[in-house]
Amino acid sequence: MAGGRELTVITYRGIFQEVEEARGMYSDGYRDQSAVVALDGRDMKEMGVEAGEPVRLATASGDVVVAAKLSEEDHPGVAFMPASPWSAQLLSGDVGEDGFLELKRFAARASPGEGEVTTIGEIEAGIKAP
Amino acid sequence: MGLCTGCSLLCDDIVVELDGDKIGKTMNLCRKGHAHYNSLGSERLTPSVGGSQVGIEDAARAAGELLAGAENPLLFGWEGSTLEAQRAGVDLAKKLGSAIDGPSSYSQGMIAEKILAGEIPTCTFDDVRNFADVSIYWGDDPSSSHPRHMSRFSYFPRGEKRQKGYEEDREAIVIDVRKSPTAQIAADGFFKISPGGDGAFIEALTAALAGKIPKVEDKKRMLNLATKLRKAKFGAIFTGLGLAHSLRGDLSGFTALVGKLNELARFSVIPSLGDYNTRGFNQTLFDETGHVDAVSFKDGVSYGRKFGIARFLDSCDAVMVVGSDPAAVLPAALARKLAKVPMVAVGSHRTITSGLARVSVPTAVAGLEAGGAGLRTDGVKVEFDRLVGSVHLSDADVIRRIMEEV
Ligand code: SF4
Repeated sequence: MAGGRELTVITYRGIFQEVEEARGMYSDGYRDQSAVVALDGRDMKEMGVEAGEPVRLATASGDVVVAAKLSEEDHPGVAFMPASPWSAQLLSGDVGEDGFLELKRFAARASPGEGEVTTIGEIEAGIKAP
Repeated sequence: MGLCTGCSLLCDDIVVELDGDKIGKTMNLCRKGHAHYNSLGSERLTPSVGGSQVGIEDAARAAGELLAGAENPLLFGWEGSTLEAQRAGVDLAKKLGSAIDGPSSYSQGMIAEKILAGEIPTCTFDDVRNFADVSIYWGDDPSSSHPRHMSRFSYFPRGEKRQKGYEEDREAIVIDVRKSPTAQIAADGFFKISPGGDGAFIEALTAALAGKIPKVEDKKRMLNLATKLRKAKFGAIFTGLGLAHSLRGDLSGFTALVGKLNELARFSVIPSLGDYNTRGFNQTLFDETGHVDAVSFKDGVSYGRKFGIARFLDSCDAVMVVGSDPAAVLPAALARKLAKVPMVAVGSHRTITSGLARVSVPTAVAGLEAGGAGLRTDGVKVEFDRLVGSVHLSDADVIRRIMEEV
């Protein structure tokens, strides 16, 4: 996890994402609602990222490019991301000694992203890769 | 009257006008329910084996053969299935001597199990609507996940002893790491905690209820909350994934807090479970085994985290996923493991998981195209008929058909 700003990422479910998921995961609408990260205003400024621009999130488990969203609240060092196949790429698959699989909170490095937001097709291809 | 299987509230007051054998105008659906109804026409799963389209009979046969030929199969999902399909699923697991598990094993299964075991008190939503003067939403944002929760049951409506509704008769308290839409409704009742701070909040509130000085920054506010809860006549605590994950399954502090609150007034816990019949699967498996997830029928009944999907993927040689999409939720490393296991996908719609399956067996959408029953997230049984016809079998019929091949 080299480079970028270290953030604690918390996943959540949003109503608009729930709606798009019911419509189907392969739609642009689902991607627009899922492949986003809500960032603190100061974090965005220091990263040099504007709302709507791509942000690369990386952990030891994987990385994705999602769109930046300006959070209405102040929460420096913390980012919020819809629980989705995009956030799942960043989660650790290690089951703790207590047998618990952490799906809500993880540390990630965030940096200005290059290129397009990761597509669901790219995620599927990564899962199917030999 | 129609019903919605869009979430575990199982709203049964949906007015549906039929346009021939199609759904026409509807009333009372929330935005999410609308999308669920509209999903009938898109992304439907089709029967296939090895990527080729086949008839439903061939798909069911191939599914049965794949499972019957395995040493260590796992039957996973079930929380988006009818009670009838869940019952058939448990019977199939017993017949196969397989493991059986659902998303509860990585969400709120531990809370659900304690409720079913009688270790955490609960009540129905009807009790909440009629009597609750304090609703606590803990790591829970029903405005997003269960959109009619607050309007049908927990905050806005009038009830037998709550004739003035939210304006005067009810208090909403939200404990969360972010100002969610539910927290915005609660306004002054929002307590923002730091990520993973639920345990510390439980400790501080327990201390404040015992008349001690809580170890938090804003002591006065915590003491005020304790005073408010002491005055409550009927409290309801709605839990979400946020609480379960923050406590990492260690519910001792939470259970003790609920116990303390019950010394003052009746306080009940209702988890806001995800898929429409999560509670049904929890109950079905609990009635059979005493556990809500992570069970194996290989040598009698065994229970343990090693039978939950996260660990069992290391040893299983076939998996059937029913009404669920674990590949979209599980960490990528586990989704990649899942992709390597020969898989049967049973469900109504195409998902990331079904895209990994060797065999796909489609089902009708419960509540719209097929009848059945489910348990609302508070445990109340709701029965439903189909509204429109379908070319697909019900989920229960599909599971029974697969079982015939085993
Ligand atoms: S709250 Fe849930 S069950 Fe009720 S209409 Fe909305 S999605 Fe359907």
